[in-house]
Amino acid sequence: MLQHASLVLRDGTTLDDLVMRDTNEVSLRVMTDEELYHHEMERIFSKTWLLLGHESEIPKAGDFIVRDMAEDNVIVARDRDGSVNVSLNVCPHRGMRVCLGEAGNKPIHQCIYHGWAFRPNGDFIGAPVEKEKMHGNNVDKATLNLKKARVHLYGGLIFATWNVDGPSFDEYLGDIKYYMDQLFCRTDNGLELLGPPQRFVLPCNWKVPGEQSGSDGFHTLTLHRSLMEGGIMGGTAETIYDQAPGMYGVDVSCEQGHSLRCLEAEKTFKMFADVPFEGKSTRERLELLTPPGITREMIPQLFRNLSEDQVEQLATIPPQVGGMFPNILIAFIFAPRTDGGSSGALSLHTYVPKGPDKVEFINYIFAEKDAPEEMKRDMLQNAIWNTGTSGMIEQDDADVWPVIMKNARGAVSKGITLKYQALHGHERPDGWKGEGLLYPGFTKDDTQWNWWMAYYNLMAKA
Amino acid sequence: MTWITKSTAAPDATTIVRGLVSKARVPVGSPVYNALLETLYDEAAALDERRFDDWTAMLAEDLIYQAPIRLTRTGKTRDLDVMRTMFHFDETHESIMMRTGRLQKSAWAEDPPSRCRRFVTNVRVGECDTAGEYEVVSYLFLERSRGDSPENETATAERRDVWRDVDGAYKLARREIIVDQSVLGMSNFAVFL
Repeated sequence: MLQHASLVLRDGTTLDDLVMRDTNEVSLRVMTDEELYHHEMERIFSKTWLLLGHESEIPKAGDFIVRDMAEDNVIVARDRDGSVNVSLNVCPHRGMRVCLGEAGNKPIHQCIYHGWAFRPNGDFIGAPVEKEKMHGNNVDKATLNLKKARVHLYGGLIFATWNVDGPSFDEYLGDIKYYMDQLFCRTDNGLELLGPPQRFVLPCNWKVPGEQSGSDGFHTLTLHRSLMEGGIMGGTAETIYDQAPGMYGVDVSCEQGHSLRCLEAEKTFKMFADVPFEGKSTRERLELLTPPGITREMIPQLFRNLSEDQVEQLATIPPQVGGMFPNILIAFIFAPRTDGGSSGALSLHTYVPKGPDKVEFINYIFAEKDAPEEMKRDMLQNAIWNTGTSGMIEQDDADVWPVIMKNARGAVSKGITLKYQALHGHERPDGWKGEGLLYPGFTKDDTQWNWWMAYYNLMAKA
Repeated sequence: MTWITKSTAAPDATTIVRGLVSKARVPVGSPVYNALLETLYDEAAALDERRFDDWTAMLAEDLIYQAPIRLTRTGKTRDLDVMRTMFHFDETHESIMMRTGRLQKSAWAEDPPSRCRRFVTNVRVGECDTAGEYEVVSYLFLERSRGDSPENETATAERRDVWRDVDGAYKLARREIIVDQSVLGMSNFAVFL
């Protein structure tokens, strides 16, 4: 018997009417509903861990970037003690933004309105004309700090949450950590961001790209058929649905809603390594086809930073695309170049809600810090050509998403349901080493349904 | 003209370069100026009318075509806002051919196509050090109508070009598109600027 949730909208619609756990359907209405959006801001975006950037953006004391936790603008700053701090960019005096730039270095952030000043860690320093006590006669200065979020660094990625007493980052990540580590925690010096992120706004609800980031592999065959037409994923235009390149692998997921698609390196990307892996050691496989972003010289680092089982997976059936709930997409992909080379593309997006009908797409592009400059240059181009603003893969996504939201407004259309009924069910492949919910074979709806279950579980709690 | 690309997240002095660098101006109304202006108009028409073969015929083999991102900055860094470390476009002749080739196939982002109107103004021209090459700076205003939406998506930008005289016709050798938005209001750049 399913436990029913407490969320009820003004017209009497319940969360169970919107997310139908018995039939694996979701009402299209959720893709535009304003009332639901306000609940999401409180129950999801004020509660869960959110990605704000990467440590390499703020290497020195006083360095800062300004980012958004949904519609709350925050300062992400490095303090003198080396710590990374996230504080609400709202002056507790009269509500002005304290920091107006997007990136830079400041030992002190002073509000331009009345001059209240704050340290990089959000601590209140004072108001001008100290002797007049313009911050109040009987107020403890510590109560006038910028509101501070809880921060966690994972592989250099900066996460923050307003849920100070909530789950730890590791609890939030769950069983997917074993697989995420293979992407974010595999080298001695880690990843670096190649530049400030691309940013653009789409007229669309955040959940449209959000649910796709729950490892929707199937859409690639049709929406991204130009990849096959261009020979990038193997096969030809005529054989797309027969051969279904990139569809077979192991989708991994967890109840927290995160997921990754692990694809056999040798099968899916034959054009890079038309050599059978059978009988070859992990190291030999890595030498034949280095994972995206990794050079042959960096292979020993993988063994130092990951377990033997993790390296074996990375060499054989690496995680390539997926996401973290609620709004992160990961694409660490093999990317061929027109000149024959391949050094991969490492992109990561956040889909930041900006109202029920707007989402900001932020595209972070990475390389391993130890990669040679030429390779970084190469990977930057690969990522720009395939992902983000002008990316040949993702410009097609940006075309679909707003239309789905538009449809959700129709009196009749909003009653249509999104269907997640092509389910495989959890099944552990022979010899599989990692934990989590596992879906071997053709990519199906399981991981995306887990995304909706994570959504349901948070929305059910006031 | 400087065309520096460094893969680092840190801004530097190259983030300030804008506009015309050449000191040898080609005056408005001179034969070379008129021919280049006509070339810009022809290029805009080729792109608006989706005649991509005509457009790519105007591109030099050694083309560098980039659109750096912009940042909002304050204080001492207030004008260091063109980030030549990250781009919306970072193209070569080959990658442009790949993009225009894709547009002939299943590129849903432009099928149905958007209806575009490129307005090119404020054209300033200077001579480059290499004979037959001209630095051409222009403003671009792009109006883009998509599907059944009555609201156009728009983009404004400064374009810093180098056009090369090849047997009497001008070929685009360099283009830097300095967009004005730090957060683009256009949902993708499936069109060229």
